[in-house]
Amino acid sequence: MRIAQLRDELKNASYVSAIVMLSVVLSGRLTAQDMQSSENHAQYIPAISGGLGYIHNVNGGVTSLIPQINPVLLVPFGSHVLLESRTSFTGFFERRDLTSGPFTGKVFKSVDYAQVNWLAHTHIIATAGRYLLPFGLYSDRLGPLWIRNLQDTPITATIGTRTSGSGDGFMLRGVVVQKPSYSVQYTAYFSAHSNINQLQAARTAGGDVSIYLPRTRLEVGTSYQRFLQDHQINSVATYVSWQPSSVPLDIKAEGDYSYNGRGYWIESAYLFQQLPIPSIFRRTQIVGRMQQFFPTNGGGNTLPRVDTNRFDVGLNYYFRDDLRFISSYGRTFSSQGNANIWNVGFTYRFLFPLWPGRTK
Amino acid sequence: MNRSLLYVFVLLVLSGLSFTASMLKAESSPTAKEQGMASQTRTTTQPNGEEVFRANCARCHMPPMSLSPRTTGTVVMHMRARARLSRQDEKLLLKYLAP
Repeated sequence: MRIAQLRDELKNASYVSAIVMLSVVLSGRLTAQDMQSSENHAQYIPAISGGLGYIHNVNGGVTSLIPQINPVLLVPFGSHVLLESRTSFTGFFERRDLTSGPFTGKVFKSVDYAQVNWLAHTHIIATAGRYLLPFGLYSDRLGPLWIRNLQDTPITATIGTRTSGSGDGFMLRGVVVQKPSYSVQYTAYFSAHSNINQLQAARTAGGDVSIYLPRTRLEVGTSYQRFLQDHQINSVATYVSWQPSSVPLDIKAEGDYSYNGRGYWIESAYLFQQLPIPSIFRRTQIVGRMQQFFPTNGGGNTLPRVDTNRFDVGLNYYFRDDLRFISSYGRTFSSQGNANIWNVGFTYRFLFPLWPGRTK
Repeated sequence: MNRSLLYVFVLLVLSGLSFTASMLKAESSPTAKEQGMASQTRTTTQPNGEEVFRANCARCHMPPMSLSPRTTGTVVMHMRARARLSRQDEKLLLKYLAP
């Protein structure tokens, strides 16, 4: 039984590898022909990007070792079609008896997205395949470990992203209108139900609309999702993101509502870039986040079943723009017990071309 | 109640699409006067590539210090799809990152 399963997995893996190799070669051949814009020297060649990191986590006295790597394969076909895929490999190791004994665990893998984007024009970017559900700020934008300021996701991050965080279907997104003082962006999607291994998704439909003011660097948006299978429910998020141009400050906040509960989080990060301190310390970033969650209808569906409050404070240090040390302390308060959460580790963002570029 | 919310959402999306279509129609046939005014406006109020880069990349992450021209086109395409950037922003970014 296991051998047959292994054989099937190997067969699937070889098909996927063949498709990827064929795409890279085809894309590279196109690149070799005429894939360079006449207005600049940018080239469109296949590349592999992504993040890797290691987190040492202590949650309520239980230690977990969490190494992660999330490679993103980017294969452009000209300057309007892009095939992109991200796979996550996350190791999770704990002591056998939680607080004593040797570390044991396993590596979890998941296909976060595998999609083809057609960048038709400003107003329409059509996507087909498996994509991240665009709900609120976290899932689509702050998900990668090298991006997020605090490694632990907010309590409400699972609202609007059931069941796997990804959807299988199609999505339209783009800019509705762009003026010097503001722009309006939209996203609309439909996902079909899927039980295929690594491609699990729920039947959902939804969208997101946001207004961005480039002068003040303020963005306000809202997301909606209708869960269309089993118990059909609506989920709504409203969010704000502000990075003032005069101060290296990053403020983000989101309020979420669903059948299983409602909550909010506010996060603020400040880079010591402008402080009158030795330059080596100016790469330090201090982060704070507070959040509250209130279950309704018994909570559940990966959300807490009791009122939960949590705050986090973090200190990150950027050795380079792609390599940083991360650390944070948080505490949860709930009737099920309070707990301290510590995180220490590092994250690294990588980017390698997969095809030789055109030489000048 | 839930169904009404869905109808309102569909209505909003449809209005957005019809608005987009009307914008496209307007964009496709600019008069000479409009073209002149547009170029004048561009020189005074439109952002340059660096401003687009600083404003849009920092919305989510620390902007990269450098990017090889070999991968710039691919990365900017990726970011255009992720961050819902306009074609104009994409052009400005490419000109700034791989002049």
